[in-house]
Amino acid sequence: MSRSQIILTRLALLALVLGAWELLPRYGIINPLLLPPLSDVLAMLGNLLGRPQVHEAIATTAAEVLVAFVIAVPLGAALGVLIAESEYLGDIFKPIIFYVFSVPKSIFLPMFILVFGIGFQQKVAYAAFTTTFVVLMSAMAAVESVKADHVLVARSYGATRPQILLRIYVPSMMPILLETLRISMIFNFTGVMIAEMYASRTGIGHLIAGWGENFQMPQLFAGVIMLAAVAILFNEVVRFLEVRCSTWRT
Amino acid sequence: MQHVANLTQGHESGTEVAIEVANLGHVYAGADGGVPALQDISMSVGAGRFVVIVGPSGCGKTSLLMMLAGLRAQSEGKVLCYGRPIPDPDPERVGVIFQEASLFPWLSALDNIEFPLSLRGAPREERRRRAEAMLTLVGLDGFGARYPHELSGGMKQRVSIARGLVQDPPVLLMDEPFAALDEQTRMTMGHELLRIWNTTRKTVVFVTHSLTEAVYLADEVLVMSARPGRIIDRIAITLPRPRTYEMMATDVFGKLRDRIWQQIRKAS
Repeated sequence: MSRSQIILTRLALLALVLGAWELLPRYGIINPLLLPPLSDVLAMLGNLLGRPQVHEAIATTAAEVLVAFVIAVPLGAALGVLIAESEYLGDIFKPIIFYVFSVPKSIFLPMFILVFGIGFQQKVAYAAFTTTFVVLMSAMAAVESVKADHVLVARSYGATRPQILLRIYVPSMMPILLETLRISMIFNFTGVMIAEMYASRTGIGHLIAGWGENFQMPQLFAGVIMLAAVAILFNEVVRFLEVRCSTWRT
Repeated sequence: MQHVANLTQGHESGTEVAIEVANLGHVYAGADGGVPALQDISMSVGAGRFVVIVGPSGCGKTSLLMMLAGLRAQSEGKVLCYGRPIPDPDPERVGVIFQEASLFPWLSALDNIEFPLSLRGAPREERRRRAEAMLTLVGLDGFGARYPHELSGGMKQRVSIARGLVQDPPVLLMDEPFAALDEQTRMTMGHELLRIWNTTRKTVVFVTHSLTEAVYLADEVLVMSARPGRIIDRIAITLPRPRTYEMMATDVFGKLRDRIWQQIRKAS
């Protein structure tokens, strides 16, 4: 299939789904109380986007996602390298990390509330906590991709230990870390959402949870569209960074 | 010892000694007392000489080179480079050029060449100027912006040589630099290396598997035995310089290559 055919098929599929969303509830085939027609949802979305309360929620959620990400990625990468490089730390921490990684992180949420309250810090702390694990695991794998030859070359030119880390390890690990970025962004976003829906005063997750409890379906679906838009935006930003950083990839 | 005496008579360099190795030995730590890798290696390389080390696979050629570079410690004996031991790598004295492509794939050719200078925080303009000069020296003008994966095997090794030379160390250690190249490129690169050597007058210690390469390049060939590696023969290559491809067809060339081959066969 040619490129244009693929795009056309995609558009047709999208039109089909959106058309069904509009028409099925409109003609009562699906209960409009459960699934309001698309046009009603879009009208509600327009309405919501005019409200300062919603602006605040979007801004809060976006800030939480961003701050948690900026904390978790370098932290996870640094810890991963440390554990992978040090035989001693590896022996001690690898099993622990492995087991903790397999535990659903949401069970720790009550603890985060006790320590941080239910504000901005708690969302950031919880999301950063879950994301750090993902980055850490992948950083440990990335260390294995560092070529011993490259380290030897750097040593032969008198590179110090920090120089080897910065100039050999970091660029060698970059392809794997870049691939991790997007996955960790998904974990990160999920972390913020769960924390917001669990206990919060603001944020998109908080609004959606409230609308759901009150059976406000048009608001709920409008919220989902909002959230999807923010998530796609973050995904595209990370992808843009990926492309920018991977020019040398072989 | 007798061979050393022969050499100093035959090849009077009249200059100072660049590398001095005395009774060097190495044992790899192992479960049952360790594996002896190198045994009683003594050699002396005069400044500006081109010495080639040949020997069967696993004889410890590369280990020896790593010890000359200060990248690995020997169990016994000593290594002196311009009169001083070399316990750690010292790019001021020794440049190393490695097997195959050891270029960093995330840096352009020019940035690869600048790498040793940037480690020492040399100013940007100076780095660029010297790297450009090296690029010209190895015949790669205009290729500085290319990344390693955009270069052929021969070009990559030219960049490696440029990187080894950029700090202008008096000694150049080369560990089978052309092993991964096809036969034709290998011949061209050997010829190129001699041209560069002639321009820069470095002291070169070159490790190879190829007997033809050894005879073609060297002032002196050291033949090593199978593990534990010892130096079993030292052969002065008396062919005149500049060396030409035609010399390879001569009787002298063939005889020298045969002698090395016989030694290696006896030893392995």
